[in-house]
Amino acid sequence: MTTSRRAFMASLAASLAVPRLSWADAGSPAYLAAAREPDGGYALFGLSATGQDLFRVPLPGRGHAGAAHPDRPEAVAFARRPGTFGLVIDCVSGQVDKVLQSPPGRHFMGHGTFLAGGDILVTPENEYETPSGVLGLWSRRQGYRRIGEIPTHGIGPHEVLQISENVLVVANGGIRTHPAQGRDKLNLPTMRPSLAYVDLDGRLLDQVVLAPELHHNSIRHLSLGQGGQVAFAMQWEGDVMESVPLLGLHRLGQGAPLLAQADLAEQLAMKGYAGSVAFSGDGRRVAITSPRGGRLHVFDAAGGFLESHRRGDICGLARAPGGFFATDGQGGVWQAGRGGFVPQAGADRNWDNHVVAL
Amino acid sequence: MIKALPIAALCLLPLGAAAGVPEVIARDILPGTAGFAEATQALSEASDRDCTMPAMAAPYGAAFDAWLAIAHLRFGPLEEAGRDRAIAFWPDAKGFTPRMLTGLIADQDPVVATPEGFAEVSVAARGLFALERMLYDPQFAYGPDSYGCALTRAISHDLARMAGAIDTEWRDSQAGLMRDAGAPGNTAYLSPDEAARQLYTALLSGLEFNADGRLGRPLGSFDDPRPERAEARRSERSRRNLVLSLQALHGLARDLAGADIPLTDAAFESAIARAEALEDPSFADAADPSGRLKIEIVQQRVQAVRRAVEGEIGPILGVGAGFNSADGD
Repeated sequence: MTTSRRAFMASLAASLAVPRLSWADAGSPAYLAAAREPDGGYALFGLSATGQDLFRVPLPGRGHAGAAHPDRPEAVAFARRPGTFGLVIDCVSGQVDKVLQSPPGRHFMGHGTFLAGGDILVTPENEYETPSGVLGLWSRRQGYRRIGEIPTHGIGPHEVLQISENVLVVANGGIRTHPAQGRDKLNLPTMRPSLAYVDLDGRLLDQVVLAPELHHNSIRHLSLGQGGQVAFAMQWEGDVMESVPLLGLHRLGQGAPLLAQADLAEQLAMKGYAGSVAFSGDGRRVAITSPRGGRLHVFDAAGGFLESHRRGDICGLARAPGGFFATDGQGGVWQAGRGGFVPQAGADRNWDNHVVAL
Repeated sequence: MIKALPIAALCLLPLGAAAGVPEVIARDILPGTAGFAEATQALSEASDRDCTMPAMAAPYGAAFDAWLAIAHLRFGPLEEAGRDRAIAFWPDAKGFTPRMLTGLIADQDPVVATPEGFAEVSVAARGLFALERMLYDPQFAYGPDSYGCALTRAISHDLARMAGAIDTEWRDSQAGLMRDAGAPGNTAYLSPDEAARQLYTALLSGLEFNADGRLGRPLGSFDDPRPERAEARRSERSRRNLVLSLQALHGLARDLAGADIPLTDAAFESAIARAEALEDPSFADAADPSGRLKIEIVQQRVQAVRRAVEGEIGPILGVGAGFNSADGD
């Protein structure tokens, strides 16, 4: 079942016609991030551009990432993989308006994004018996009714972004998992990650597959730069004491991706793991974080290594006007830009893997 | 329910460094960085007097011994400019070190002439493991007035330079930053417990490096043992490195905890005794069944130390594994 573009445009027009609450009613947060609090509970926070708390909504368990509606003060928080629910949260009232349940035989992957001006939510899902990757489509206007799905043309889709009106880009991590075996990786010897460009009818427009010697490099997280440039961050399932690239840059139709690395010592310090990726506010730089290596690595948009910042358990990363906004598992909030690497705020909580920029 | 929170800047009180941090700095770290600086200075001077292997063996061994007292402190000055990798480039999964050394020698590369020049050479061609190749690998044998001699001197001088910088930076800034963790303006350690957490992480990472690296790499798998991957096997230091590292980590654990840690003490003593009893100093017997079994037992004992530390010292410090680094997705 797929959804036609005409239906998309119709629902987009409908959603724009009704004025309702906006993010200003939730304090105009610049970022959303989830955290564990000192009492062991979890909450979603709205943060200002300098990392100050603007709102707090309790969560029932550990999250991973969320999707923020572009206009409405509404966020969808996904359970940590292999969770089967997503919570649609009203960030003004703090209420959970709706609980999304993944279809039987599927679970969510911790990520999602809004399309069509916020009327459609798209969720990467693992169809674990097949196994294959699926993007679920949900109509917000129809109370988050599931209206269709399209294939990701790979296994273990992790994150998805919209790069133009009709085109999505998906990170297929390539790793087979089954909820009966938790997060165990079932196909490492044969894993084959990909970066897939699909249209909304589910057609594969282009895909990036890594060279055979890099087939253990799971493509997991994405960021969108200027002119359709896509950055993808990878997690190495091979020997962690090897130095491998963890950042790739690509455009639809480009052919082989550009793989970026720091110098040997810095690259080894990443411990084969990039947890988040983001372009800078101006799209001219791109960064990845490694919580295992305690590193934030910054590159130019042509893949040239620029600088390294050190901070234990750093992971959450998003664009900021002058560079990057980052969070760590020790409660710190950071800006990396022309002024260097500067703490913005600190709190007694553990920031979770991702930050969502509004 | 939504809760409006006051907009507050760093609302963390400077309570002073948490348990054990000043003790670790005074008893373990600063003596260690001073010892490494002295030992590498002696190595550097020895290379100037006589660069050949017989004259270099003893100062080389002393410098490596001194490194193991601090090698697990992979943060701050050790990480500056990639120093930890430049000092100890191991494991070398892709064989960079012999390749880079071969290239330098083939080209008679003049980069060895100045310290500034040599500091820009790839980390794989510097430090203790490059020096080990020069001294103990027959394919790199050299005579007194050769390029190999100049290269050996350059590596030795570079080690002394890095060790001196590490010691100076620890004394002049890093120690103060950690003692004053959480103080206003301290952007390295935003809260008092961050310094203790960093030392705790270094302790656990050091144990993991011994179990997965020093022991795990030569063990390989049962069907594919890899004794040729043992650390510093050419200088027959594999067992010695393991023992010295465990002893240093035990000292760190005791001073960091600042309390009785009987389970951790017992686990360390058992692991160290088993490691000392390994028959082959370079783990060459990782490929034969009885030798392999003994190495596996040591590996299990080191893993038991890790569990003891997590169960006994983690609660004392109120810290657990990294929230994101341990979860991963």
